[in-house]
Amino acid sequence: MRVKKTQVWGLISPTLILMILIGVIPVIYVIYLSVFKYSVFSKTGMVYVGFDNFRKLVFDASFLKSLSLGLTFVAICCLVEIPLGLLIANVLTYEFKGKGVFRTIMALPLAMAPVSIGSMWVLLTNPDVGPLPYFLGKIGVDYNIGVNATQAFATTVFMDVWHWTPFVILTFMAGLASLPKDPYEASLVDGANRWQTFRYITLPLLRPVILTTLFIRIMDTFRVFDEVWMLTSGGPGTATRFVSIHLVREVLRSMNYGYSSAMSLFLLYLTIVICWLLLTFISISQEEV
Amino acid sequence: MRRRLLTVVFVLCFLLVPTMVFAQVANPDWWKKAAEPYKGVVIHGVSESTPPSKAIAEIAVPAFEELTGIKVELETTSWDEMYNKEIQDMQAGAGIYDFVYLEQDAVYSYMEQDWLTDLTPFVDNADLTEPDFDLPDFTSFIDYFKGKDGELYGIPFEAFLKTYIYRTDLFNDSDIQAAFKEKYGYDLAVPTTWEQYEDIAKFFTEYGKEKGIELYGHVAQAKTHPCLAYELCETIWPPWGVYNWGINLENMRTSVENGGTLNSDTAKEALGWYVDMLQYAPPGVRTYTWDEAAAVFGTGIIAQGFLYMENLGWLAHDPDRSVVIGKVAIDIPPAKPGVMEAAEAGEGYIGYYDGGAWGIPYCSKNKEAAWLFIQWCTRKEWQPEFAELATTVVRKSAFEDPIIDELNVAMGGYYTVMQEKGHLFAGCPPLPMQTPLNELYLQWISRAVAGEVSPEECLDNLAKEADELMEELGY
Repeated sequence: MRVKKTQVWGLISPTLILMILIGVIPVIYVIYLSVFKYSVFSKTGMVYVGFDNFRKLVFDASFLKSLSLGLTFVAICCLVEIPLGLLIANVLTYEFKGKGVFRTIMALPLAMAPVSIGSMWVLLTNPDVGPLPYFLGKIGVDYNIGVNATQAFATTVFMDVWHWTPFVILTFMAGLASLPKDPYEASLVDGANRWQTFRYITLPLLRPVILTTLFIRIMDTFRVFDEVWMLTSGGPGTATRFVSIHLVREVLRSMNYGYSSAMSLFLLYLTIVICWLLLTFISISQEEV
Repeated sequence: MRRRLLTVVFVLCFLLVPTMVFAQVANPDWWKKAAEPYKGVVIHGVSESTPPSKAIAEIAVPAFEELTGIKVELETTSWDEMYNKEIQDMQAGAGIYDFVYLEQDAVYSYMEQDWLTDLTPFVDNADLTEPDFDLPDFTSFIDYFKGKDGELYGIPFEAFLKTYIYRTDLFNDSDIQAAFKEKYGYDLAVPTTWEQYEDIAKFFTEYGKEKGIELYGHVAQAKTHPCLAYELCETIWPPWGVYNWGINLENMRTSVENGGTLNSDTAKEALGWYVDMLQYAPPGVRTYTWDEAAAVFGTGIIAQGFLYMENLGWLAHDPDRSVVIGKVAIDIPPAKPGVMEAAEAGEGYIGYYDGGAWGIPYCSKNKEAAWLFIQWCTRKEWQPEFAELATTVVRKSAFEDPIIDELNVAMGGYYTVMQEKGHLFAGCPPLPMQTPLNELYLQWISRAVAGEVSPEECLDNLAKEADELMEELGY
């Protein structure tokens, strides 16, 4: 059946209109705002400043620090979550007693809203009544995320790992279940041991899944907000003021719309570059497979 | 059978609450007549979920709806969410809200942006203003909501101090008094100097450790949160002699070289003292906002501190939340030499007079109905009961009511302090840019509290950046 061009446009136009309304127009507006000095509290109103806001970004020590903190957070979380998820997903391919229960409990954090996760960790880590400081104190560790910057940062990483590793495990389990059986049978005939099978068969075959999962986790951790906001609000000092928190503070508290629009665009650009690099890797790995 | 009877009693009580309030209305016929043209109209409001707002939502709203037929949708939400909602509404001119909460420190921003409706014509309109409304009966707190030419933008419904609170059971304990005198050589009493405050804080924290009980001599709101910057600006710096956020209000600059006091030696000394004092507070003090500071005081492990007195109602009355009922008293904060004299002369102040008012956004679609509701919440005959519910007094006549005398005893003399010493406290200076300024202050002060920078480095950098921000904003 031949479909007319007008019919095609008629069918996709509702989606297109919706995308333009909620996607394209806001981005254009942000681009527009980014070339103005515009704060709600300014006496001068909107003043055209060209690319000054972008120039200011390069010299803004607090923005650069929060960006560096955000990227460090992304790197550590992904470096922990991907190998850990892969390991657990592999373990779960074997049959053992209580596997079903373990899988259910493991997936529970995924069902919780990030704000609830943050609130839960606030209670867990509360220096006055929280169980974590109490039990760590019993073994001689003075744990207080209101005072110790390293502990606060480590706790945000641990919280993210606890929340999101189950997602990584589930995607890897799905990936492992879809791998072809033939290479494994061949490796068995050739006398390969478990490590060799994993290293030379599972890992290469699973590479597209690993890269896709990594891609999703990088995006997610880069824009982490709710949990960290609930737990530390970026503190103590600036220890956990990741770039997403810095941006929200600029928009909601400083109401510096021009500068924060420039900041948002820069972060969007950075995200696109990272995405493009990862997508290139994924395409190459899929061709190789 | 008994359960059914209890249910019936509960339902009857529930129904009676609005009726009781209705019964207190001095002039019900006037209200009915004035509201007649707006019957069936729905007005929307937003406020912070504080005891006064909750009392209004639970008591005043149902009674108003029943009497006037005007429906009121009042959102009580968190402080920051309330700001975002009302600012976005007024900025966009959407007209979602017909009345909004105006916090004293934020009202200047709203006035600067022309976001508020001048209420003066409403006050002058006899058809819309109750004959007993009596504007001069409001305390001087209403002056904070007036424009440059005396135009009125808000009607206060809550006003309270942030001041010194202490545990009378601990301060009056003879063993503790003897131990204190032995250690410091003078009697344990309400501190009048910061050195005495520090001695008391240190004493009680050490006393707790010695006796194996959880007790601390100090509490603060030191979380990386706007409350931290507010605590310094409102509570710590003024009694040290650093006023108006360290800003020279004539040229709107903060650094010493530009005539400000933000990076003065006194401000640095006070900040250093504040950070140092955190050692005498509970271990979690750096995770406390204003809410946690009051909640921890309610658990009975704090001997003294500075709290927003809007919390005093539940601290003094609610056994579910407070173990210090009947054990607290209120006084003015200690002050550095010369500060008290300056405050008496009206040239300085020793603490923060906080509160809020109802205002009508310029874009409201039901201004007249909203004005009726605002009068309803602040009407004279309801104020003593409102004070009982929400620990707040905004009308002079309320102080004369016997209910206030009873409350004053339970609340450790709070209303006496408010009435007799209230003039020594002040609201936020007229800083239309206080929100972004607070954020900048927070960025640097939180770093000093975390030990990332010294108090000197913190305030020198803060003053420099605050001056730059002022210039950028056109001040």
